[in-house]
Amino acid sequence: MSGRVLVVDDEVEMQRALKTGLRYHDFDVHAVGTGEEAVRETAAWRPDVILLDLGLPGMDGFATLRALRPTTRAGVIVVSVMPGEKDKVRALDAGADDYVVKPFGTDELVARIKAVLRRQADVSAGEPVVRTGDLEIDLARRSVTAGGRAVKLTPTEYELLRYLALHAGKPVTHTTLLRQVWGEYAVGDKYNTRYVVAQIRKKLGDDPTNPRYIVNEPGVGYRLQA
Amino acid sequence: MRRAAPYVVALAGAVAVTAAIGLVSTRFQVPGLSALYLLLVLWLGATWGRGPAVAGSVAAFLLYDYFFVPPVGTFTVRGPSELLELIVLLAVALVTGQLAGSLRRTQSEAEALAADERAMYELATAALRSPEVTVALGLLAKRAVRLEGVSRFALMAMDSGHAVALAGGELTADELRQAAWAFDNGRSVGAAISNGSVRIMRTRPEAAEPAYLPLASGVALIKVEHGHPDDSGLRMLGALVGLAGLLLDRRRAVLEAERARGFEASDRLKAAILSSLSHELKSPIASLRAGLTALTAPQAGLQPDQRELLLDLDGQANRLDRLVGDMLDLSRLEAGVELDREPHRFADLVGSALHQLRPDLKSREVTVDVADDLPPVEVDELQVGRVLANLLENANEWAPAGGKIAVGAGAGDGMLTAWVENDGPAIAPTDLERVFDTFWTRRARGSGLGLAICKRVVEAHGGTIRAENRRRGPRFTFTLPLARVPATR
Repeated sequence: MSGRVLVVDDEVEMQRALKTGLRYHDFDVHAVGTGEEAVRETAAWRPDVILLDLGLPGMDGFATLRALRPTTRAGVIVVSVMPGEKDKVRALDAGADDYVVKPFGTDELVARIKAVLRRQADVSAGEPVVRTGDLEIDLARRSVTAGGRAVKLTPTEYELLRYLALHAGKPVTHTTLLRQVWGEYAVGDKYNTRYVVAQIRKKLGDDPTNPRYIVNEPGVGYRLQA
Repeated sequence: MRRAAPYVVALAGAVAVTAAIGLVSTRFQVPGLSALYLLLVLWLGATWGRGPAVAGSVAAFLLYDYFFVPPVGTFTVRGPSELLELIVLLAVALVTGQLAGSLRRTQSEAEALAADERAMYELATAALRSPEVTVALGLLAKRAVRLEGVSRFALMAMDSGHAVALAGGELTADELRQAAWAFDNGRSVGAAISNGSVRIMRTRPEAAEPAYLPLASGVALIKVEHGHPDDSGLRMLGALVGLAGLLLDRRRAVLEAERARGFEASDRLKAAILSSLSHELKSPIASLRAGLTALTAPQAGLQPDQRELLLDLDGQANRLDRLVGDMLDLSRLEAGVELDREPHRFADLVGSALHQLRPDLKSREVTVDVADDLPPVEVDELQVGRVLANLLENANEWAPAGGKIAVGAGAGDGMLTAWVENDGPAIAPTDLERVFDTFWTRRARGSGLGLAICKRVVEAHGGTIRAENRRRGPRFTFTLPLARVPATR
């Protein structure tokens, strides 16, 4: 798999390291240092994935994300030194696809980029069945099987699992889950989502201390393993 | 001279009333005209009190006897009925004078009290409105020395064990020491407050030594010369001391609030500096790791030993990064981090920590014993995640090759008790407490921060943490508060 990756980082050393590392993994890489350049380059070059540092000078990462999101379908991976969990949630809710905390190794970054690219391919293919390990979620028939065994879920449990399945591999925030499962005006109580996830895990036979399907993203939300 | 005036008036009045009675009785025969004297006595008593009233009564008695009681023109009395008339006149006059006198006294006392209260009220309002406590205290001191017999009234605050003069003029070093002694021992010297009034107590009445009254946040010095002030003066003094106590309390509260704000600001500043410093330290580490790991890709075409070297260097950069992160976390915890407490299933927290460390724990046999029906804990997810991750990393470091790590938890008494143990070497008994000290480490290369962070996080949640040696190896046990209402939705 290859693709176009736009690196947005104000440190030249970081740009050079990422260009070198990602090119070894067959990505086509461009790098810019500011949010304004990122917006221009995205329109001109049409990257598949944008690595966006939140700590940019001038127009910061969040402002850049807001400016980018309506104009591109590129996957956005937010990169940051010491992001608070609130920053992660804010970035995800503003349309980022994933986040990576600096410093990171090239392998970790490549894995995240590939996951984002794979999701884009899945979404465009419109695949009606999501599989992760031996878990199968048939979105057309609204049926779930784990290890070949049919699992009966309540409507709330199914909705939550379906939303995670539609975004398999991507961290989904508590607020997004609350809004998607309980409705636009759901009053936020994270314990709701935690309770329902615990129920789903129990029915899927997933051990919460070693989950195979639904993984916690501490302080952020959940991610269905892709 | 002025004191004699009422008596002159009493005598003159008695003569005038006698003349009036004489004038009337030459023309008409009116019985009981002696009652006119009562009118005079009543007026004397109401106006000047008992003394003039009694003087008037006696004068009236003698004049009436002389001019109207037969035999007229002498002080002798003819018969028992005339004697009785005279006695009744004297008795009624005395009683009336007495009553009128005490009425007058009560009234004048009430007026004095009302005046005191009005003055006190005005002073208190002015003092409490004044934004500067020392200005307000100055008002009190000025008012106090206007009281008769009060020569000094000074107020001191206690600042870090020393008395500091705030109002009422300069004080000698000896006086400040004496005041500090009174404050430290909570004992007044030479005076006391009883029933809201100051009571001066002296071993030698003629000595004019200042008295010291300790207050909640300071000391009042009172010096009384020319004899005692009167009761109302002492009452006023008591009220002034009480008001001074309130103002000194207010001053202390303001100072403490300022100090707290200062601390808070310096904590925030410290956290901001550390945060920015960590950012500056981590950015170059990020470039280092990205560059080093980029070159380990097979496509870079390096020899295996060269790749090995780069991976080692990346490990070092990673270590540096962890150290910076730990130091920042520890300083944040020391500055008093705000916990984001919510009900969590402990199993989920263990799951997150294990998931995060999965690559490191690959070669270990990790067993988890956390019951399904354990009630939720009320904790900060991220902070407790750090505790678990640090304890697991610690266990991972000490467990022998292919060794075991066990995690478990149980609930009871409103707390959850959790433990992480490994089958590595025991901790020396003398070190069981010290392992949680900042920068203390058993390893040559450890930062000595991981367990210190654990201890701070657990204690911030109101729990405890301890290390012990079990037969199989060391165990770390900590407690966390259970959620108050088990949320079952």
